[in-house]
Amino acid sequence: MKKGYIGIDIGSISTKGVVVDSNKKIVASDYLWTEGDPMNAVKRLLKSLEKQIKGKDIQVVGVGTTGSARKLIGAVTNASVVKNEITAHAIGTTTLYPDVNTIFEIGGQDSKIIIIENGYVVDYAMNTLCAAGTGSFLSSQAHRLGVSVEEFGSIALTSKQPTNIAARCTVFAESDLVHKAQMGHKKEDIIAGLCKAVVSNYLNNVGKGKRIKAPIVFQGGVSKNIGVKKAFEDQVGCEITVDANGHLMGAFGVAILAQKSGIERTFDFNITALDFKTKGFECPKCANHCEIMCVYRDNRLIDSWGNKCDNGAIRVN
Amino acid sequence: MKIGIPRALLYYKYEKFWTTFFDQAGIEYVLSPVTTKDIVTRGESLAIDEACLPTKILLGHIDWLIDKCDYVFLPRVEYAYRAQMCTKFLAQIDLVRNTFRDRKIQLLFYNCFKKGPRAEFKAFKKMGKFLGLKNAVIKDAYTKARQAQQYFEMFRSQHQLEVLKETKKNKVLVVAHAYNIGDKFIGEPILRTLRQLNCEPILAEYFDAYECIHQAHEISKTLPWGYNQHLVGAIAKYRDDVDGIVILTTFPCGPDSMVNEMITRKVKDKPILVLTMDTQDGTAGLETRLESYVDILNFKKEHRNG
Repeated sequence: MKKGYIGIDIGSISTKGVVVDSNKKIVASDYLWTEGDPMNAVKRLLKSLEKQIKGKDIQVVGVGTTGSARKLIGAVTNASVVKNEITAHAIGTTTLYPDVNTIFEIGGQDSKIIIIENGYVVDYAMNTLCAAGTGSFLSSQAHRLGVSVEEFGSIALTSKQPTNIAARCTVFAESDLVHKAQMGHKKEDIIAGLCKAVVSNYLNNVGKGKRIKAPIVFQGGVSKNIGVKKAFEDQVGCEITVDANGHLMGAFGVAILAQKSGIERTFDFNITALDFKTKGFECPKCANHCEIMCVYRDNRLIDSWGNKCDNGAIRVN
Repeated sequence: MKIGIPRALLYYKYEKFWTTFFDQAGIEYVLSPVTTKDIVTRGESLAIDEACLPTKILLGHIDWLIDKCDYVFLPRVEYAYRAQMCTKFLAQIDLVRNTFRDRKIQLLFYNCFKKGPRAEFKAFKKMGKFLGLKNAVIKDAYTKARQAQQYFEMFRSQHQLEVLKETKKNKVLVVAHAYNIGDKFIGEPILRTLRQLNCEPILAEYFDAYECIHQAHEISKTLPWGYNQHLVGAIAKYRDDVDGIVILTTFPCGPDSMVNEMITRKVKDKPILVLTMDTQDGTAGLETRLESYVDILNFKKEHRNG
């Protein structure tokens, strides 16, 4: 029986999961919408992964979680590694592309740039609060223009003269877009302009002052948008790699970290049948009113977090 | 007569100085509690949108104090280390007086518009007279207070130098104003997270101000603000002794917005992380950023050691 490791990346918009074998090969993967319910998304994800590895003689011995709900899902799956997105993405990408120097990552809520030297992360930047929401911004604008996000990129490529759209802030971009549409600009030009705006916003905010050097890998949900990829290539002036599994890179990276951790415990897919509940409450013990989150498995408390001081600490037996 | 001291802004600079002065002069005072979310929320609703977070917090503290004392103590100081201070320190009295006008706020303050200790003593003398203190009492209390502050700062910086020398952990130079890093709401979560990640936070603020300012010119020769000179000088002086630099700033700080940009452009040999704090709650974004940053420090160490 071969050993396998699960990596789960639970983002704000989508949940990604992979199973890798001990040769770091992806043997199963899935990508689905979080729909605001990470717990349920992970249950669906695990069911799908279980189905895919059935009959392949793989025993899962480690779980790693990353993404904004990494703590919650880490508690639920009893993960051996709970790691931030940046490190997970960097590890995943450098495993597949050992000579990569720059990673662009645009997700639903966060965008980041990771600078790598000789296979090591040396610098990174993440959007400040203001430049957030690129992925979700694109999908809401696609909806406004009456096209699906999936075809957004290919429509952009048909444009010969992209419309100029204010790139400073998504709020301005949105009102500018509405204005340009009313002025009679063609839909494909506006879409291409939007892709350009997202890229200049990214390079001016997240990538500001960073050393951008080829080879460059572009990933995250938005990397599936071929229009954005082309806009990046136009502005950076070199070819950019988008891996077919680019959206899975965080999950892949954290699965590798789970393998590297050396912690092995047999993982039981049955946890999808267990009843997990979360309960949030405001701690009344001092004036900070911390929002404390408790996770229960079959009505037994397994983890809690959110307290700023010891008054709010809840002991887990 | 009871005086209320807000635990905000200059308190974090002059803690020992003020409390020793009032103790020695025999004046009763009450100190507002450490910043809580309630205080921040209260301050936010009192301040205009554009005010900086530390100013909002100050208003929250004064709101807490106003019914618990006869006078709220709030000095007006123009110079720090012989250099200009941010205008908010000049404006705070007027700001507070107007914000709390309906509640008939009584303010106690000293005005210090000139550089140097003589001017400061004169300002204290004037305030002491207002409090009905005798000349000799003022002079005695002032001298002891100055001394207490001096020893406090000296021991603090010596202790930090020892830690810097002995610790085996990742050393992170935390560059932040005293009223940001000392505040329970703004600075504490960052120090706690850094310690949880097995790092030793080294505070730029704790290093001797004049020694640092002496070296600040290596990074900028024309920096106008005294407090920023201190912090930038600490980077110039100690950058080789630390593994990385974390700059903590509050939104929307005017001086910091320029100085931080200058630092990130000029200091290229150490990983720098800039954290901008606002009233946002939830430490998720903060943790992700610090965790990834510390990962970089660890990668570097691993790499260096082969």
